[in-house]
Amino acid sequence: MTTRALDAVLVREAKIRATNSLFIFWDLLYPLGYLLVFGIGVNASLGFTSGLPGVDYNAFFLAGVLGMASFGIASNTSWSFFLDRDNGIFYEMLTYPMRRSEYLLGKVLFNELVGLVQALLTIALAAALLHVPVRVDRLPLLAAATLVGTAGWFFFYAIFALRIRRNDAFNTVTSVFYFVFLFASSMFYPLDPLPRAFRLAALANPITWQIDVLRYATIGVGDTLRITIESAAFLVFTAASFAVAIHALQDTD
Amino acid sequence: MSTPAIVVQNLVKTFDVRGRPIHAVDDLTFSVQQGSIFGLLGPNGAGKTTTLRIMTTLTRPSGGRVEVLGYDVVKAPLEVRRRIGVVIQEQAADLLLNVRDNLLTFARFHGAAGAAVRARADRVMAQFGIDDVADRKVQDLSGGVRRRVQVAKMFMVDVPIVFLDEFSSGMDAILKRSVMGLLRAQAAGGRTIVLTTQILTEAEELCDDILIINHGRRVAHGSLAELKQLVGRLHEVTIVFDRVPDALQSIAAGYGADRVTVLHNTVQLQLSDEESRVLDLVAALGRHARVQHVEIAGASLEDVFVQLTQKAEAPR
Repeated sequence: MTTRALDAVLVREAKIRATNSLFIFWDLLYPLGYLLVFGIGVNASLGFTSGLPGVDYNAFFLAGVLGMASFGIASNTSWSFFLDRDNGIFYEMLTYPMRRSEYLLGKVLFNELVGLVQALLTIALAAALLHVPVRVDRLPLLAAATLVGTAGWFFFYAIFALRIRRNDAFNTVTSVFYFVFLFASSMFYPLDPLPRAFRLAALANPITWQIDVLRYATIGVGDTLRITIESAAFLVFTAASFAVAIHALQDTD
Repeated sequence: MSTPAIVVQNLVKTFDVRGRPIHAVDDLTFSVQQGSIFGLLGPNGAGKTTTLRIMTTLTRPSGGRVEVLGYDVVKAPLEVRRRIGVVIQEQAADLLLNVRDNLLTFARFHGAAGAAVRARADRVMAQFGIDDVADRKVQDLSGGVRRRVQVAKMFMVDVPIVFLDEFSSGMDAILKRSVMGLLRAQAAGGRTIVLTTQILTEAEELCDDILIINHGRRVAHGSLAELKQLVGRLHEVTIVFDRVPDALQSIAAGYGADRVTVLHNTVQLQLSDEESRVLDLVAALGRHARVQHVEIAGASLEDVFVQLTQKAEAPR
């Protein structure tokens, strides 16, 4: 792995993203918007609770919006393969002096930084505005879960972005993924009261694993053993997605 | 003779199209000498771009071997990529970046950054006539300017081999001439240039070595002079008369002319025969009308190309 190639892809991504500062502003603040709308709306207007003792819905949903944000960043970043392909630069870049793995990693690195800043900003404002009791001592775990989570979802989406040649088909796939992954998970509600089949589907969903870790890192809810297993499972999911995405990138005939 | 820059041996590329194997490249063997301008020519669908994609690590071969400066394109693709620059057939530019950033980003991938590179970008942009749009996003520029940006990038780094797939498409005549001059200078400086083109006059002017392929197979390979020898007795005759002779068609047919075209008082004939017979034909026509001007030329690359590829098209 060479830092030169990673640096070049990262700078390119940063330059492209920096051409639209409104986009970055939105990227940084939209999770907070979700938290304010859903958190305050559901918490105050509908009187929902998290179902967990001593945890209001704002605190419960904080990990959900962080997971949703890294899921969204990953999806947008993988969509940029279509932009590169439309611009013709995709195939030219594959002749640049870098490994396919460096192309993938470099592409996600800048967006990892955006995701990290976004996560820190969101929990800071959630603590200040919504009085969410954030576990400052677990910030390193939060950072790790955000970085690995964004990378994992990016590699997962990249497989489809590289295999599917049509933009509209890819958009359909991402829409289905949004629906299935986000709602069959612990993002919006605790899993325990759910019907058994729904609960089992959610437990097998990688975004549940990521959100449970984020919830453990932000407000300290969760069993340590289960969080450890879910962390390991998500790492396996990330590594497998990375391997398959590299294969998809090599197979560009 | 120096070590070849590129060695292609028994190259095969097969695509599976709805369960049917299509041989895009079929047992192709050739080499490219260092510091030469090598032209890969062939009709549409001949396998030029596929061959180029294999040489540039974009596509894996189904069989055979390709080495670029001693590195195998399959076993050591990164080493190959470190030594090549590629202008692909499609327009390729970062549309959201400005012209300058397109050049600087490309250089950064090759490990070049800093003040010297910025100065080089200024020089290259001036050479390509894109310095006045240096700070404009490429998406706001015309297709021709985008193509200039794409080709200009190759002059930002000193890689020893440059591949150009239909490099002049979208370029005006003046820029094309200027880029051809730059390419000649680069080759004289030791850079190896590999190009594909549909415009045969370009290849005729630029290439030291030409490979003609069709259906993924080698049709002919050599210098322009060597290729012309393959269709050696082919002559292009242009005669300007005071008036076109009435018996033109019958006289030309009597000498076995392949093609006769008439434009005003100018007659163009193509003849595959000995030079003495060509002169006899001119003399025979001169007996029927006054000849004002005569020009006899050997085969052009276009003639060579058409003759050889048509021969290759003939059923085996």
